[in-house]
Amino acid sequence: MSSLRESELWLLSFYRQSEIAGALFFGRLAKNIRRGAIQRDMAKHFADESQHAWYWTRCVHELGADVQNLPFTYQDQYIEAGGMPVNMMEILAVTLAFERRVIGQYVAHSRAPGIAQPVVDTLATIMTDEKWHIRWVTEALDGMKAEYGADVVTATLKRYIDADREVYRSFLDEYAERMSGLMQFKSK
Amino acid sequence: MMLDSNVIKAKVAELLRVDPMKVQDDTIVSDLVADSFALVEMVVELQEQTGIRLMQKDLQGVRTVGDLTQVMVRLSAAA
Repeated sequence: MSSLRESELWLLSFYRQSEIAGALFFGRLAKNIRRGAIQRDMAKHFADESQHAWYWTRCVHELGADVQNLPFTYQDQYIEAGGMPVNMMEILAVTLAFERRVIGQYVAHSRAPGIAQPVVDTLATIMTDEKWHIRWVTEALDGMKAEYGADVVTATLKRYIDADREVYRSFLDEYAERMSGLMQFKSK
Repeated sequence: MMLDSNVIKAKVAELLRVDPMKVQDDTIVSDLVADSFALVEMVVELQEQTGIRLMQKDLQGVRTVGDLTQVMVRLSAAA
């Protein structure tokens, strides 16, 4: 029998689903990038997101449950809110906004009281990778300032950070009950 | 170098692996792709192959293949 509450199972399934969506996104990008540090780092990012989906799957199974198949991901609403990215600079900007949200969410989760040890371990493992994701994307974006202009890069990043806030706000409104469970985890 | 609209249409057909006859000026671009990300992939690859840099604002209002080729021809002429 599972030790997970329904709201916890939903949240861990949501994490897994978002990691899978991220892996598919970066996998398709990595396939097309022809050269340089971005080619290398994008492929690593793709591999990490795939691993994270596996870690969450394993975690849920260790807790005696099967992951839920959710019909949406957090990323689904990004294009609607921030507009479709059409070049690598805009793709990296939306990625950075998203990665900041991910690490913020995982940090908040890791500070919640009484979370199960497999969840603690999984969060710790994934956050190591997430910190590197933020670092490489930030450096790649910095490297594009010469080509696109620092003002354009900064404005693009701000646009997607604003879009992320909008998406997160509407996400919290829609799933308030389940997300509030994050701060109410009890020892099992 | 100014790009030719027929060259762009041929590249769009090639990148999306669709029959070139289906890539006409009045074809809705989103009708050619399975999902929005395929559109992102195509546009990024199109820039890679043509050397033309597109920004999100350049593609605002672009619905058809003709709209897209007009934007790219204009930008290539200005480059």
